[in-house]
Amino acid sequence: MGSDRPVREAENRLERFNTDRERLLAEVERRVVARKVVDGHAGGDASLEYVLNDVAYCEIRRLEATNGKSGAIERWRDLSRRLLAMTEADKQEALRALVRHYGRDVVGNFDPRVYRFVTGVAPSLLGFVFSPVGSLREGVQAISNLDARIHADGEIAVARTCAERGTIIVTPTHSSNMDSLAIGLGLLRAGLPPTTYGAGKNLFTNPFISYFMRNLGAYRVDRRLKFELYKDVLKEYSTVLLEHGYHSLFFPGGTRCRSNVIEKNLKLGLLGTSVTAYKNAVRDGAPHKRLYIVPVTINYRLVLEAETLIDDYLAETGKHRYIITDDEFSRIGRLLEFFRKIVAHEGSVIVRFGRPLDPFGNEVTDEGESIDRQGRVVDPASFVRGADGEVSDDDQRDAEYTRALGRRLAAAYPRLTAFHATHLVARVVYDAIARSAGTRDIYRLIRVPPPKLTADIDTVVEQLGRLRARLAETPAWGAEHPMLVSQAATEIVDDAVRGLSTYHTRPIVSRHDHWLRVDDVKLLYYYQNRTAHVPTERT
Amino acid sequence: MTDRRDTVGISGAGRFGTALAAVLVRAGRHVVLYSHDAAIVEAIRSTRRNPRLPAAELPAALEVTSDPRRLASAARFVVLAVTSTSVRERARALGEVLDGSHIVVHAVGALAQPSNERVSQVMEQGLPTLKLGAIAGPALPDDLVDEHSASIVVASVFDEVTSEGRRLLNAPPVLRVYGSRDLVGVELASALSGAYTVALGISDGLGVGPGPRAALITRAVAESSRLGVAAGAQAQTFAGLAGLGNLLVRASDRSADYLLGCRLAERAVIAEAAWPEGARALHAGVVLADQLGVRVPVLRGVAEVLAGRVQPTALSNLIGDTVADAE
Repeated sequence: MGSDRPVREAENRLERFNTDRERLLAEVERRVVARKVVDGHAGGDASLEYVLNDVAYCEIRRLEATNGKSGAIERWRDLSRRLLAMTEADKQEALRALVRHYGRDVVGNFDPRVYRFVTGVAPSLLGFVFSPVGSLREGVQAISNLDARIHADGEIAVARTCAERGTIIVTPTHSSNMDSLAIGLGLLRAGLPPTTYGAGKNLFTNPFISYFMRNLGAYRVDRRLKFELYKDVLKEYSTVLLEHGYHSLFFPGGTRCRSNVIEKNLKLGLLGTSVTAYKNAVRDGAPHKRLYIVPVTINYRLVLEAETLIDDYLAETGKHRYIITDDEFSRIGRLLEFFRKIVAHEGSVIVRFGRPLDPFGNEVTDEGESIDRQGRVVDPASFVRGADGEVSDDDQRDAEYTRALGRRLAAAYPRLTAFHATHLVARVVYDAIARSAGTRDIYRLIRVPPPKLTADIDTVVEQLGRLRARLAETPAWGAEHPMLVSQAATEIVDDAVRGLSTYHTRPIVSRHDHWLRVDDVKLLYYYQNRTAHVPTERT
Repeated sequence: MTDRRDTVGISGAGRFGTALAAVLVRAGRHVVLYSHDAAIVEAIRSTRRNPRLPAAELPAALEVTSDPRRLASAARFVVLAVTSTSVRERARALGEVLDGSHIVVHAVGALAQPSNERVSQVMEQGLPTLKLGAIAGPALPDDLVDEHSASIVVASVFDEVTSEGRRLLNAPPVLRVYGSRDLVGVELASALSGAYTVALGISDGLGVGPGPRAALITRAVAESSRLGVAAGAQAQTFAGLAGLGNLLVRASDRSADYLLGCRLAERAVIAEAAWPEGARALHAGVVLADQLGVRVPVLRGVAEVLAGRVQPTALSNLIGDTVADAE
C-alpha cells in the first residue's frame, strides 16, 4: 500500500542528530557515572573497583581469545594492577573515561546526503532486487512501480499519527541481515520517518552495507562485550535517544531467528528503555511526550541466509554460535549472486505494521491514546506513579512492565504474519512427508532416504486449499500474501516450486511428473517453520 | 485524613471481605469497604453488622461505601473479595474507576467461572493496572472474626504488590501475611485445594481411617505440584499455605466442598448447578491436566465419582490402580 501522507521530510528528526550528538553523549556519560558512583557506595559487586576490574578482566579475555594487540591487553592489565592503589577520585575518573570510550564506540552518525541518496536512488535499486518479476523486462517495468517490490501495509495510519504525536520504536521480527534495508524501505513506503537503530558490530564487516549503516543513524552494538558497564552505556544511550525524540528501531528477537519460526522469546534489554525514557519524561513534567512501540513483521518470500541459519539451528553447536560472521551476508560475491538470483527468480518482501502499543503493552486508539483491554482510555503516566502521584523508581516493576510488553508483542507477531507461496507449500509438503514417515521430528526426517521424501502433487494442491481455508478462518495465525488471494492452489504450488528450486545454492524441492521430491529437507523445514504456530490439522 | 498509601480498599462485602476489613481496622488500618449493593452498605452503616456475617460487630472506624470512585480515590491498594462467578463483572466495573497506579489483589480461592481461567488472568482483562496479585491461605472468616490466628500468602510477579500487601494486610497476632512471587502457583494451589477437599470429604464420609486419609493428602499435594509445575508454577507452593494449608482448613464441616464429598460418599447425586467451587475446580484441573499431559489419578477418580460413573467405594481402587513408582 502506498502512502498519501509522507511525513519523512517534515519529521525526520535524525536531521538534527549530528548537532545533538555531543550533548547526547555527555548526558549518557553524566547519568551512567552518577549512577555507578551512587551504587558504588553499597560496596561489594557495586563498588567502582569491582566495576572497573570487571571491564578490564572481560576485555583482556576477549583480546586474548581473538589474538588482540598486545599493547591493548597490556593497557587493560595496567588498569587492573593500578586499581588497588587508586583513590576514589581516580576510580571515578577512570570510570568516566571508560564510559566516554564506549559511548563513542556505540554512537551513530546521520549524514543527510547519504539519506537523500538512499531514499532517492537506492529504493529503485533495492526494490528491484526484491521485486517479484519474471524477467528483466518486467523488472524494468517494475521499477516504475515501487509498491510492487517492497510492500508495506497494516496499521500505517496509526503508526504515522503516533510518529507525529510522540516517539516511535519500531520492533520488527528478525530473519535476515537484509532486514535493516527492508525495514528502512518499508518505513519509507509507509511514509514513516527514518529511525536510529542498534546494529550488531558484525554487520559492519560488509564495507558496502557498513557505509550506509554508519551514515543513516545506526549505532553499533558489540555483542562480544559482556560486562555490565557496556550494557549500561548502551541502554542509557537508547534511553537518551528516546527522551530526545529520536525514533528508534529494536529487533526484540535479538539475533536473526535461526529456525524461521515467529519469535516468541524476546530479548527485552533495549525494549525496557522505553519504560525508563517515558518515566523520565513524566518526571520532567512532560507526560504528553508519548512513546509508542510498533510491532512489525518482515515477511520474505525467500531468505538470503536460510542455508546457514538452519544449519546453525540444527547443529549441536548451534546453541553456542550466537554471532555468525561468516555467512552469506558477509561475502560480497555471495551477496551479488543473491541479487542476481533474486532478480532472475522472484523475490518480494511484505513489511506489515501492527497497531502500536504504549511502553506498558496497552494498545492505542487511532489518535494515539492508550487504552486498556476493555477499550477504555488510560493515562500511561499512572503506571509509573506511586500513591502520592509522584513518579516512583522501581526497577523490578519496570522489568515486569517490559515483560508484559514483550508478551503483547509476541502475541501480535503471528497475526501480522504474511505467508508467501514458499511458506504455504513448504508446510503442506512437510506435512505430507511427515505423515508418510510417521514423524514430524526434523532430526528423524533428515535420516529418511531421499526417494521416500516425496509428495503427490494432487494431495499437495488439496492440502494447500485446506490450509488456506483454515488461515482465512483464523486471522490470529496470520494471512496469506495479498497477491495469492486471487490465485488458484495449482498456481501457488507452481510459483513456490519455482522459488524453492532455484533460489538457493541447492534446490529444496523439485518436480517429477505428478510428484514433488524433497531435495533438501532442512531448508524445507526452515520455510515451513514460518507456519509452525498453525496447528497440524486433525484428521 | 489518612494517607492514601496507608489505606486498604476492599471491594466486596461478603463474608471474607467483611471479616478482613474488621481485622485490619482493629489493627489500626484505615479501610474502605465497598459494595455495589447499597442495601448492604446501608445495613452496615446503620447496624455496624453485615447481614452476610451477622456474628461480627464491625468497628465504627470502618468506612463503607457504595461509590466505587470513593474506593479508588481513598486507596491505592485494593482487595477484590468476590465470588468466582462474579469476578469478571466486578473487575470490569472496578476498572472504570482505577488506573495504572492501583494495586489489586484478589481473594478468590477458585478459578474464574465459567471460563476456568486463573482469576488474575480475568483481572488482567478487566482492570487497567498490571500490578495484580492474589491472597490465599487458611484464613476463614469466622477465624478472623473470632480473632484466632490465621495466615495467608500474598503473591504477585511485582515485588511492590507483595511488599505492599504484607505491609498493609499484616495484622498480628490475628493475621500474618507471607509473600511469594509464584502467582500462578498460589492461584492454582488455592483453587485445586477445593477439588482435593471434595476427595477428602469422600474419604472421611467413607470412614477410611487416618492412614489412608494421610496418604490421600500426601498424594493430593504431590499431584497438584506436578500439575502446577507443568503449568509454570513452583512445586513448593503446593505444600504451602495456599495448597496444603487451604486443603486442611477446608476439610472441616464448614466447607461446602468438604460437605459435597461427604454427601457423595453417601451416594448422593448432586446436580451441576449445586456444585461448589471445589467441584468446578475438579473438572478444570482434569482439563488442564489433559492439556499439559499430566497424570492426575486423584482428580480424575473424584471427577468420575462426581459424574456418577464410579461408586465412591471404588475410588481408592481407581486411584491406586494408576499409582506411579514414585509419588
